Amino acid sequence: MHGRVKVKSTAQQEEEKRKEREKKLKAFVSARDAVLRKRSAGEHDEEALQLTQQLLSSNPDFATLWNYRREVLLQLETSREKDEVQKLYESELHFIEACLKVNPKSYGCWHHRSWVNTRLPQPDWTRELGLCDRCLSLDERNFHCWDYRRVVVKESGVSVEQELQFTDRLIGSNFSNYSSWHYRSTLLPQLHPQPAPDSASNTSPSPTASPQIHSHRVCEEQLLKEYELAHNAFFTDPNDQSAWFYYRWLLGRAEREEMISCVYVSRERERVSVAFSKPVHAQSEGLMLVLDGQPQQVEWRSTHPRLRHSPVWLCDLPPGSVSDISNEHNLTVHWTEKYTHRDCALYTGCAESWCRDSATDQELFRSELSVEKSSVLQAELQSCNQLLELEPQNKWCLLTIILLMRALDPLGHEKETLAHFQTLKEVDPMRSSYYSDLCSKFLIENTILKMEYAEVRVFSLSNKNLTTLCHLDQLLLVTHINLSSNQLLRLPPQFAMLQCLEVLEADDNAIESLEGLYHLPKLEEVSLRNNQICKLSDLESLASCTKLTRLDLRGNPVHKTANIDSELSQLLPLVTALSL
Amino acid sequence: MGTQVKDVVIKPEAPNTLLLDKHADYIAAYGSKKDDYEYTLSEYLRMSGIYWGLTVMDLMGQLSRMNREEIIEFIKSCQHDCGGISASTGHDPHLLYTLSAVQILSLYDSINVIDVDKVVDYVKGLQQEDGSFAGDKWGEIDTRFSFCAVATLALLGKLDVINMDKAVGFVLSCMNFDGGFGCRPGSESHAGQIYCCTGFLSITGQLHQVNADLLGWWLCERQLPSGGLNGRPEKLPDVCYSWWVLASLKIIGRIHWIDKAKLRSFILACQDEETGGFADRPGDMVSSLWNLSHTILHMHIYFACDFSRTCHSLYRAYHSLRYILASVIYFHPGGSFPHSVWCGWSVFAGR
Repeated sequence: MHGRVKVKSTAQQEEEKRKEREKKLKAFVSARDAVLRKRSAGEHDEEALQLTQQLLSSNPDFATLWNYRREVLLQLETSREKDEVQKLYESELHFIEACLKVNPKSYGCWHHRSWVNTRLPQPDWTRELGLCDRCLSLDERNFHCWDYRRVVVKESGVSVEQELQFTDRLIGSNFSNYSSWHYRSTLLPQLHPQPAPDSASNTSPSPTASPQIHSHRVCEEQLLKEYELAHNAFFTDPNDQSAWFYYRWLLGRAEREEMISCVYVSRERERVSVAFSKPVHAQSEGLMLVLDGQPQQVEWRSTHPRLRHSPVWLCDLPPGSVSDISNEHNLTVHWTEKYTHRDCALYTGCAESWCRDSATDQELFRSELSVEKSSVLQAELQSCNQLLELEPQNKWCLLTIILLMRALDPLGHEKETLAHFQTLKEVDPMRSSYYSDLCSKFLIENTILKMEYAEVRVFSLSNKNLTTLCHLDQLLLVTHINLSSNQLLRLPPQFAMLQCLEVLEADDNAIESLEGLYHLPKLEEVSLRNNQICKLSDLESLASCTKLTRLDLRGNPVHKTANIDSELSQLLPLVTALSL
Repeated sequence: MGTQVKDVVIKPEAPNTLLLDKHADYIAAYGSKKDDYEYTLSEYLRMSGIYWGLTVMDLMGQLSRMNREEIIEFIKSCQHDCGGISASTGHDPHLLYTLSAVQILSLYDSINVIDVDKVVDYVKGLQQEDGSFAGDKWGEIDTRFSFCAVATLALLGKLDVINMDKAVGFVLSCMNFDGGFGCRPGSESHAGQIYCCTGFLSITGQLHQVNADLLGWWLCERQLPSGGLNGRPEKLPDVCYSWWVLASLKIIGRIHWIDKAKLRSFILACQDEETGGFADRPGDMVSSLWNLSHTILHMHIYFACDFSRTCHSLYRAYHSLRYILASVIYFHPGGSFPHSVWCGWSVFAGR
């Protein structure tokens, strides 16, 4: 049904076609009815095999017929000797192969073949591997065949090395070899695993993490060879997208260690904010809070009701437990599921305290590179730049250069990165939104790094063509944020993670939604001039920010709402300085 | 030098407006063609075909043109003793059609005409040790079926009967180097499977496990110069893939990474002005129901887009007011390529 070109025909041709289809239909219907009648009568015999054979040859997706066929075969097994059963199923394999020639992409056929191999007294895996080789030589992207091959390989004990060489051959000889690169990505971690880290790792590997995702699970020596392999592929053909996708995987960062990245304590609110290295569901993580050696009975909550899994969680300490500023306290948060914890000391005279690993220490935005890897990537960057000179419109090359620069020196290459993103949007305009968002992400990462180097709690990213916000979990300690003159559409629920925020400037954007301005306990001043806040209900969440006194909403469509002044003073009675 | 990009060219005289009435007529007439060749040959997926047709008619506000009573009786006749439901009378039960049936009955607010408890038992019984789901008693494993299982149970309010941790674990073990998902662990990423898996993770509240930026990039790279979308790298665009890719992007919050205008013109160009319906790409034969449903659906979700910008999760969608259809996509074998067929999206009462 797919891929048939529509051709206009004469009335006569139409009539002939119609007659032929009518004939075909009649034959199909009578065969189908005969088969289903036989099955209802409980007949499991050779005739059933013949009838289903006729139908399945041209209708391999008629699943019920394969089921019936299996029932018949199982029945016949019971009255046959082992060598006859062997013959029975071998002949079945011939039949299936004939079906596959007609339709190599039928789920029913491939599954039936797998099933037959479970019934064969002596499966011939060499033959099966041969079938896969032939099938893939006709269509290297047939995923049914690849999946079947994986089963054959597993059953027959073909080595990972052999399969890796198989992918070498295919990649070397063919374009459109995404399936081979993919297969490679699954084989490498098996053959060349990353040795277990010797840092006292109380982190057990996450049971749900896929072994395929992270290139750091491949040892570095092999990884560097893979760079060369991919590099050769896209230098031979700069439009071979598979190699570029694979390369991006190679440049990927290591999976973050599961840990508590920040604990923040506020005396005034008697509240603890905890940032984890990944989104969690606090109630299921075995969290324990210990204050001055005493475990505390606390309830964890997310910063926003929409965030059931979140990197940031809050809890309230028992009233009076830390409010006296003349007392010193020691707090520990235990993440018992991951055998890790974080301490935080709240000193005399201090209204707040925190303990965190910086983004740099956590290798959040770039990994520590070994000398070898660093020099390899440096050479790769040079080569890609040379390629770019030959192919200035090649978006794969541009994007890869950006990724290489980020791997090597995100801050040092910031200017070039921005220039390349601009070019990317010009040569690949369909994906402009993607490039804008990705560029925004990288700018946010750089700003976080700079903020840490300067040891300030002010985050400023105005006039940077920001189209999206991310890494908001890294901004837990930020007190002032300036997002003015960008292209933001919303302050998403994740914005509620900015628990220390006092001042927000976000003028001159296109913000319609303020969902994330929700229960921000220290937020006093908000400027949202020239945005797209249209309805009173868009401002509802602000009512939960009880310290908010200054609000600037000039230049928003909401000012046209009837009685807006009185509506707003009702909604936000605590706001004393309101500009409309 | 090097590889040509596989793509199609849209002719200037191709349709550029949505021919809604033609499409409605096409579907309304489809059910009556019981002696039609292709209709008969597609009997093995009849239940799903009915679902797609109904959803499309509903989206076009013409559900009443379909024969509700006849369809409900048909579904009743398709439930087997084991609880599972088949595509048509005389066919064997399967998860694919069990879901379609539950979706149709949800749409018609008549879920209790079948034995719901038995359906739940049937679905539960198909979960394997490793958390995966077989399609039926013959044991084919595929992430499509993980999706069918949770979508069915979610519609029936019975997600708690399965081993959720293991089910999630299995789906995540199918995540690949590119952030996408395949049929089984180790299988190549494919837009249809990605749809099933992101849909699964949405329903089970586990979307945070997806690398949305990486997967979103892979998905937006499905868009070809013609504006159409393919299902994986180096393949031709196909209107049904547009649905899977687009829906996946919507689920992970990255739908704006596709060029909307270009996709729109591609889809409109796939229409058959004579018969109604959509071909898989401009100039091809109309692949009747599947493409039509895909297309109307995703035009609705993308272009009407009042549709819950806030709805990230199919599961939350389920809890919305009004009538709810779980969206599912699964493969139906047929033709020269594994058919992608989908089922409708949820229709929400505003936010």
